[in-house]
Amino acid sequence: MTGSASAASPTADRAAGAEAARSASPPMLKARDVRFSWGDHRVLQDFSLEVERGSVVCLMGVNGCGKSTFLDCVLGENRPASGVIEVDGGDTAGMRAWERARLLAYVPQMHERTFPYTVEHLVLMGRTAYQAGFGSTDADDRRRALEALKTCGIDRLRERACTALSGGEMQMVLLARALVQDTPLIVLDEPTAHLDFKNELVFLETVERLVRERDATVLMATHAPNQAFHLAAAGLNVKVALMSHGRVAREGTPDEVLTPDALWRYFGVAAAVAEVRFRRGGDLEGFDDGRAAVVRQIVPLSTTGSETGEDTR
Amino acid sequence: MARSDGGFLRSAAIFALPLVCVFASLFCGRYALTLPEVCQALVSWLPGGPAAVTPESATLVLQVRLPRALAAAAVGAALSASGAAFQGVFRNPLVNPGLLGVSNGAGFGAALAIVLFGGGAAVYPSAFLFGIVAVCASYWIARVYKSAPTIMLILGGTIVSSVFSALVSLMKYVADADTQLPSIVYWLMGSLSSVGWENFWSVAVMAAGCVVLVLFAGRVDVLSMGDKEARSLGLEVGRDKGVIVAAATFATSGAVCMAGVVGWVGLIVPHIGRMLVGSENRRLIPVSMALGGAFLVVVDTCARCLWASEVPLGILTALIGAPFFVYLLKKTKGGGWR
Repeated sequence: MTGSASAASPTADRAAGAEAARSASPPMLKARDVRFSWGDHRVLQDFSLEVERGSVVCLMGVNGCGKSTFLDCVLGENRPASGVIEVDGGDTAGMRAWERARLLAYVPQMHERTFPYTVEHLVLMGRTAYQAGFGSTDADDRRRALEALKTCGIDRLRERACTALSGGEMQMVLLARALVQDTPLIVLDEPTAHLDFKNELVFLETVERLVRERDATVLMATHAPNQAFHLAAAGLNVKVALMSHGRVAREGTPDEVLTPDALWRYFGVAAAVAEVRFRRGGDLEGFDDGRAAVVRQIVPLSTTGSETGEDTR
Repeated sequence: MARSDGGFLRSAAIFALPLVCVFASLFCGRYALTLPEVCQALVSWLPGGPAAVTPESATLVLQVRLPRALAAAAVGAALSASGAAFQGVFRNPLVNPGLLGVSNGAGFGAALAIVLFGGGAAVYPSAFLFGIVAVCASYWIARVYKSAPTIMLILGGTIVSSVFSALVSLMKYVADADTQLPSIVYWLMGSLSSVGWENFWSVAVMAAGCVVLVLFAGRVDVLSMGDKEARSLGLEVGRDKGVIVAAATFATSGAVCMAGVVGWVGLIVPHIGRMLVGSENRRLIPVSMALGGAFLVVVDTCARCLWASEVPLGILTALIGAPFFVYLLKKTKGGGWR
């Protein structure tokens, strides 16, 4: 449990190096010293985070640590008391909703369905920020919608009423809607929280494809540490930002951050890190190429009986 | 979503429906008219048209039945468009246009005018004004953190509605029991019996509100995703919601000040529209206007023809609407709703 403070510096160095390699363009998202309070309760304190282009950042931390509050600041839902949030080099504070919607798309944890819109219509709403005047969809919009549905593997659902979909299908529809927004950054708020075993994997694989093929950058709040390992094993540039007391306490690759020590300290969970080794063509039929032969997985053992997280202020 | 020929024919039929109903209603009434009489009367109305052969029937058609039928169509259309827009914006299929207190506010305005001035011309502007005042009050209550979240608006509407409902009771209490009280009660039940061309300024108000609602229909869809998602999709949520609520309020206030409190239309008609053309508001709002206009013309014609004395509109729409709504609830249990 010692030496956790020093873990941040090599990560920062490496991040800076990677940034220089990416032709010195600004990071996709840069939050600096963001503060936000609900009344007297300080939720975010000097929160700073950078999301590199083409990377996946998993924002983790216990319930109530401020993940969603930060995402809401990025989305313009919350207005920070101080600090700066830049997306693609532009300060989000003065942005109009349509400007923001062309830079970042959002997939909620769960969408409450009220009216039985068709899947296609729901996806077409992702073009709102591009429609002038009173917004009518044109052939180009519909082409993009169909393409997004295909990318998410749900073009067969195009004419279905969204109220008739399963939770997993609905989440893919929301991802497709985010895709037609055609944004460089996609913000996901615990997108797989309500999905079953398989659909969680389908969702992650789609995210993986988006990063790889469409050069998307992803900021994702999640409660599942193994998702970070999974995406890293798929060969993506994955960072974990572990939040505690309204700021990022640790930041780095999943291997660096998600250690038994950190899980003990920030979640109050005793856990082991297991290494699962695969032999190609051996244990698992059809396991894709390009993945690491060793996948790490967190195996939670027990709670420590203590309150989660120690005071790092 | 290519429309088939069948879809086009159905749309054409839906939009022709209110015209057919208005025309048909010209024949109905205590004094039956023949087709030539009605046609001659209508032609004589045109600039440069020949004079009517029978001036009595021309007066009956042009000064009594036509304005009344057109008013009924306008009121039905305005209430239905507002209902559809409110249901979308408030993400609740059980919402009616009176949600933010416009009906009770207008009711109080009318009752106040009846008590203070004994009715007459003051009733209409007073009802209109207080309908708007009520919605503004709801909005003011709901405003927290520089925005008006949906749940706060609904709570604000509930509070304001009950306050104005209490004020209506107060007006009834202090009203003269022989003359004023019956007019208040009659007004609150809704009627078009005193409508003439001189009241048609409120049709202009309704039309203006409906035009805005039709233009903003696509944004109603996006707003029905919830404030947060709508904002992330690129809408200025506060502004667009405000415009839609204001337009719906104007349309409803215009309708209420002309016809009194007519329930059920704004709740039921959008549901019928959804069953016919789906939930997409860009199609639903115009279709609801056509259906609601036709529906209220039929109901109003029944109201003045069925019995010797006129039946208030609100009674008939509830008697027809309630059973239909029960049917709808039973039917849609297994349908697209959850």
